[in-house]
Amino acid sequence: MKQFGKILKFELKNYAKNKAFVGVTIFLMALIAVIMFFPRITALFESDVPSDTTSDLSVMLVKADDPTQADMVKETFAASFTDYDVQITDAEISVIKDRITSGDVECAFVMTGATSFTYYVDNLSMYDMNPDIATGVLQQIYQMNAMINGGMSAEDAAGVMSIQIDGEVESLGKDQMQNFFYTYIMIFALYMVILLYGQMVAMSVATEKSSRAMELLITSAKPINMMFGKVLAACIAGLVQLVSIFGSALVFYNVNKSYWGDNSIIDSIFNIPPDLFVYMLVFFLLGFLIYAFLYGAISSTVSKLEDINTAVQPVTFLFVIGFMVVMFSMSSGSVDNLLMQICSYIPFTSPMAMFTRIAMSTVPWYEIVISIGILVASTFGIGILSAKIYRVGVLMYGTSPKLGNIIKAVWKA
Amino acid sequence: MILELKNIEKSFGEKKVLTGVSFKAEGGKAFGLLGRNGAGKTTSIRILMDVFPANSGEVLIDGQPIDYNKIGIGYLPEERGLYPKKIIIDQLTYFAELKGMSRKAAVQSIDYWLGRLGMMEYRNKRLDTLSKGNQQKIQLITALAHDPDIVILDEPFSGLDPVNAMLLKDVVKEQITKGKIVLFSSHQMSYIEEFCDSIAILNNGVVALHGDLHDIKRDYPRDRLVVRTETPDVIMADFGSSCAVMDSGDLMISLADPAEKKATMTRLVENYDIDEVKIFEPSLNDIFVEYAGDAAKEE
Repeated sequence: MKQFGKILKFELKNYAKNKAFVGVTIFLMALIAVIMFFPRITALFESDVPSDTTSDLSVMLVKADDPTQADMVKETFAASFTDYDVQITDAEISVIKDRITSGDVECAFVMTGATSFTYYVDNLSMYDMNPDIATGVLQQIYQMNAMINGGMSAEDAAGVMSIQIDGEVESLGKDQMQNFFYTYIMIFALYMVILLYGQMVAMSVATEKSSRAMELLITSAKPINMMFGKVLAACIAGLVQLVSIFGSALVFYNVNKSYWGDNSIIDSIFNIPPDLFVYMLVFFLLGFLIYAFLYGAISSTVSKLEDINTAVQPVTFLFVIGFMVVMFSMSSGSVDNLLMQICSYIPFTSPMAMFTRIAMSTVPWYEIVISIGILVASTFGIGILSAKIYRVGVLMYGTSPKLGNIIKAVWKA
Repeated sequence: MILELKNIEKSFGEKKVLTGVSFKAEGGKAFGLLGRNGAGKTTSIRILMDVFPANSGEVLIDGQPIDYNKIGIGYLPEERGLYPKKIIIDQLTYFAELKGMSRKAAVQSIDYWLGRLGMMEYRNKRLDTLSKGNQQKIQLITALAHDPDIVILDEPFSGLDPVNAMLLKDVVKEQITKGKIVLFSSHQMSYIEEFCDSIAILNNGVVALHGDLHDIKRDYPRDRLVVRTETPDVIMADFGSSCAVMDSGDLMISLADPAEKKATMTRLVENYDIDEVKIFEPSLNDIFVEYAGDAAKEE
């Protein structure tokens, strides 16, 4: 136990002295701080600029052959497209096109009939909603005209068109939308941290082996202490990094809270329910440990640093597949599909899959208990197994041994 | 204190590495573990250090199974290597702490050894800024700093210049005087011959020869004389076919019977100009080649 403590301390010191590690952490904290201060900074600039200048608005041209239609369209478009300076034009289409390509005018609607139009724009953005808005507006005009022509008064027609429906949504389980963001952040953080720190553990083991410091280490310390010391140090370093980054996000968010207004996304991230936070921590730690053990064990069988990446590829694949399943299920909205249910019990995927299901759906308590139980048992099992692989692996030099040989050697040792 | 390996058997997979390996090493004496490459020296040492267990057999201290919590072992591996990018005092302290020393005691002991080996100026430098020989001296400290009961030195002299080799010799002699078990593994027979009282020669995982080096040499038939003289031609003419020139330029005279030793010696001294005459004893090199060389012929 004393030896384990020494190893843990030594490995932690390595992280603290690692300039890249400290640098990246500080950089990310600073970046988060800047992001959190962003609304305050923009507010500072906005207050100086008068907001009622129409000259700043980009120009939208409307051309209609029927003058009554032109007036009506201009009026309703001006109301619908508040970001634009809507102008009526009689110019030829070629002239309109020229004005758009020259940048003088941003876009133009040319009415080709009561229910049809052509939309001209220079570069069509992915998020350009103008044609959709125009379609809605024109539909409304057409429907209103039809009602008025059918004998309804203009007021009644307007009333019909602007009827409001009062609907209320009450979710008895989880609100997927609300939980989506922090589930996303947690899964992504887990993904980044496991890949990053898994590599770090692998590097640390392989460096000791290739520098032959291993010859001395293996005769000075118990392999199980070495393995657990290394992996727990990586885990603590990872947590410290995450806590620093998210901690700085929380602090700077609270400093600038009034400037963020009612941003529901940000709000939902910072108002994570405590029970979910505990689940997040549990799954994060166990998921991290199980993969770090695997990375450590595999890298102990590698003789050259260059071979690490090839050697750890199967583990990385396993992990990425789990990540993909969870990500696709999340974005499809059906987090309880069969694949996700299976993944919730496989120790290598359950940290992501089960957490996602807990956060975005309703999972019976016994399923959670079973999943965590399997995960805890497997983490310890993998930890002990990895120490055994480590003991056999670190003394193997030359070409990377085949998986079968390692299993055989571990079995016999 | 007596360290004893008894009937150690070890296989890696199908390959049998050690077969019934037994040897004894005593405190206050140096023990040489010899053998050609791949004979099983490192495997024996690793079993002795509990890096992995033997398939069968025992490691005993004074007849009792060794307790690794009580018996300290210092090891200088043949494959040298520490953390190249780390400060020397930091990593030396770490290794000493792993062996169970307190931080304070570790730093104190390391400072003593840094001074003793003339390495104090490198205390706060990175290891990779040192020359190979100096790195080796640093590595030696990891084997000695925790004042172990058993010191295992695998090829300790390789890569050292004569001055440093002398320094290491003094350190080793000091360890032996302190009553420690010093276990040497080396291919440099001259050093083994200089230090070791007893040896074991491993050949293909079997102990081919084991015992007191002096006794081993005495057990060879004492029927040859080594003669140093300024007039070899005269002697050769008189002794005929029983006389041959050795690589060293000395003459070797074979006796028909060891009992003729005294008479022949007297005859030589009285009749010729003799600088030196003595009984021929095989060098460790000769013994090694004889016992470990068989495999070379078979291969």
